[in-house]
Amino acid sequence: LRAPAHRHVDAVFDALADPTRRRVVETLARGGTVTASGLAAQLPITRQAVAKHLAQLDDAGLVQRADAPGREVRYALRPGALGEAAGWMRDAEAAWDGRLGRLKVAVERR
Amino acid sequence: MKLRDETPKQADEKTPWVERETMIEASPEEVWEALTDEDRLEEWMAPEVDLDPVEGGGIAVRDGDDQRSGKVETLEENERFGFTWSRPGEGESFVEFMIEALPGGSRVTVVETPLHSAATNTAAGSTMAFGWGPRLLRLSHTLRFALVA
Repeated sequence: LRAPAHRHVDAVFDALADPTRRRVVETLARGGTVTASGLAAQLPITRQAVAKHLAQLDDAGLVQRADAPGREVRYALRPGALGEAAGWMRDAEAAWDGRLGRLKVAVERR
Repeated sequence: MKLRDETPKQADEKTPWVERETMIEASPEEVWEALTDEDRLEEWMAPEVDLDPVEGGGIAVRDGDDQRSGKVETLEENERFGFTWSRPGEGESFVEFMIEALPGGSRVTVVETPLHSAATNTAAGSTMAFGWGPRLLRLSHTLRFALVA
C-alpha cells in the first residue's frame, strides 16, 4: 500500500515547486514559528498571499499550526514531510546509480 | 570524434530533484542505441521493456511486480531522450537522459522530477524544482539531527 504515501510525497513536491513556498519552508527551517504578517514583512508579497501559501503548505503536511498565544495563527515546520520527500529522492538516486552502472557495462562490453 | 561546444552550465535554478551522471567509454551514438532500442534497454534498465521510440510513443518497464509506464516526450538523436513514467496509481515523474560527447567517451546525465497535476500539464519539466533537490536533502538531514539533539 505504497500509493497513498506516494501521493503525499507528490503533494510535498507540488508545494515545493513554488519559489515563495520554498522560501517560507527555508525560513521555518531556521526554527521557531511564524505568522502570515511576520512572513509578509520579510517577503515581497502581501499578507493575504503569504496566508494562501501557508494554507497550501499546511495541506501538503509541510507546516502545522503551532500552539501559541496571540490573535494570529502561528505555523511551524513539520520535518516529517520533508523527510519523506528526501527519502523519495534518495531512493530515486540509488535506483538511477544502479541503472547507470548497468548501462555503462552494457555499452562498454560491445 | 566530433567535439561539441561546452553546453552552457545550467543555472542552479534549473536543477531538477534528482540528477545522476556517469562516464561511458563509447560514442554518443553507441549510448543512444542502448537508451532507445527496447532490446538494448532490457540489458540494463529492466528485464522487460517496451518502447516505441517516437515522440508521444509508449514506454513500459517491468521488473517483476514493479511496473511503470508512460510516454516519450523528447527525442533528439544522440543527445536527449525524455519520457514520463509512473507506477499504477502513483504520481508521474519526468525522466530525461542527456548525452554529451567528451574526448574518449560520453557523459550521460539522467534527471528525474515528480510532475504534478496541480501545476501546468504542458511541457514536462515546467514544474521542475529549480535547484532545490540538494537543498531539500541538506535541510532534511539538518532537521533530523536537530530533532535528535
